[in-house]
Amino acid sequence: MSTPVESSAQPPEGGGIKKLAAGLVQGESPYARRFDNFILVLIIVSLFSVGLEAIPHLPAWAVTALKFEELVVVAAFALEYLLRIIAADNKLAFIFSFYGLVDLLAIAPYFLTGLDTRFLRVLRILRVLRILKVQRRVLENTVAERTRELAHRNAALEHAQAQIKNELDVARALQIAILPSAFPARGGFSGSARMTPATTMGGDFYDFIELPDGRIGIVMADVSGKGVPAAFFMAVSRTSLREQAAHHHSPGACLARTNDLLCTQNPMELFVTVFYGILDHERGVLSYANGGHNPPLVARADGSVEALDGQGGLVLGVMPGMSYPDHTVQLQPDDRLVLYTDGVTEAFNSADEAYGVDRLISEIRAHGAGSPEALVEKIHSSVNDFAGIAPQSDDITLTALKWGSK
Amino acid sequence: MKARVEVLDLATVVIAEGRLDFSAAAGFQAEVEQALGGSGKAPAALIIDCAGLEYVSSAGLRVFLLAARSAQRAGMWFAVCGLRQVVREVFSLSGFSQVMNVLPDRASALAQVPRKPA
Repeated sequence: MSTPVESSAQPPEGGGIKKLAAGLVQGESPYARRFDNFILVLIIVSLFSVGLEAIPHLPAWAVTALKFEELVVVAAFALEYLLRIIAADNKLAFIFSFYGLVDLLAIAPYFLTGLDTRFLRVLRILRVLRILKVQRRVLENTVAERTRELAHRNAALEHAQAQIKNELDVARALQIAILPSAFPARGGFSGSARMTPATTMGGDFYDFIELPDGRIGIVMADVSGKGVPAAFFMAVSRTSLREQAAHHHSPGACLARTNDLLCTQNPMELFVTVFYGILDHERGVLSYANGGHNPPLVARADGSVEALDGQGGLVLGVMPGMSYPDHTVQLQPDDRLVLYTDGVTEAFNSADEAYGVDRLISEIRAHGAGSPEALVEKIHSSVNDFAGIAPQSDDITLTALKWGSK
Repeated sequence: MKARVEVLDLATVVIAEGRLDFSAAAGFQAEVEQALGGSGKAPAALIIDCAGLEYVSSAGLRVFLLAARSAQRAGMWFAVCGLRQVVREVFSLSGFSQVMNVLPDRASALAQVPRKPA
């Protein structure tokens, strides 16, 4: 491996013997590794023999064998001890270091004749610590190596992810940019709309369509699901609906035809909820049809708020041949119409409570007297305040219309 | 969101519990697909028991649509049952109640499973 390996061993200096000694007792060369393992075996053998000696009435041959074994062990340890002193840059510091003293203790009992030094020999187990220390360093180096490799891969992944995110952000911006920014000013009606996308690409959309007969088509829609498939289906839905709107006087007929078209262009089996209304701004009449969308709310000048009836039409894109009945509602001056998606009413707070339609109605009651822009803004901040720190899981889309633009 | 599958003589029942939103939809869909083909012999009917279902979003609703489609392709009778008020409203609002069998509880769903002539 060409990557530098961190090592606590000092680069050996001085003569050839010192270099040789250092190569054997320091660092991570294969020789050092083998030498370590050899010493480890000796430590275990010697500890084992201390145990054996404790057995009473050992046969004479065993006693002789153990004595010989002790001689070999002590000779090897003494040799190793000497090598370490030779290899050390600061010899005194080594001798009085913890491991230096442990090494000395390992051989000292042999030379202290006349004392029962068995307990001292047991201290040889401390020598295992040195081996473990070396092994741990080898392990740490391996882990560091793998960590570096992982970091490289993570960086590559992050880069790829950032690229995808950038492209999705651009797509999202395009998706929002195709939505109309202003309500077409006609007659006495004023309007405002706003979509706040969730972090992922979603499929909410609204639309204002200037129809050939002078009326205004009003759309509020929500594609099931999220991400790129939902965004594509949103674009297809919006285009189909716009195209059909120009050809159909009846909103229900427009939805029925759009539904048939979407059913043939829907490989992902997504669907879209659509409210489509046609506003006669001169007479204040809204005719509409509903394909599975949350019913818009009408706030009357007397303070009452009601949901537009005629719900329960099938969402679009599921089954061809469906029909969508037309409904009409007569608006009065100062009435407000609020269209929304379930991102509003199903905004959840951290306690898992939904914002709900009741809160929406009280916001409309409280702020309906102002401009549609102000109303949209008020509802929006009310939803945000309610959700608090809970992440926005769905697009939040709102449209407010008012007859009498004062 | 939890889902478990019970294989009965008449039908395979998928029991849905908890909140079925976008994040739970994929797991639930996998469970339904397994119920459709996992046990080797295709069952005569697929019933999704929603008695324990607390919430369903539009993405969750899509799983029901896919299940109905798959069951239809496999020649199986399909129904959902035991919808709580809040879930029933979503089914009714989206028009799903028009295009699939929605029954009050599991017993009534099982009672409607078409019997094959002996």
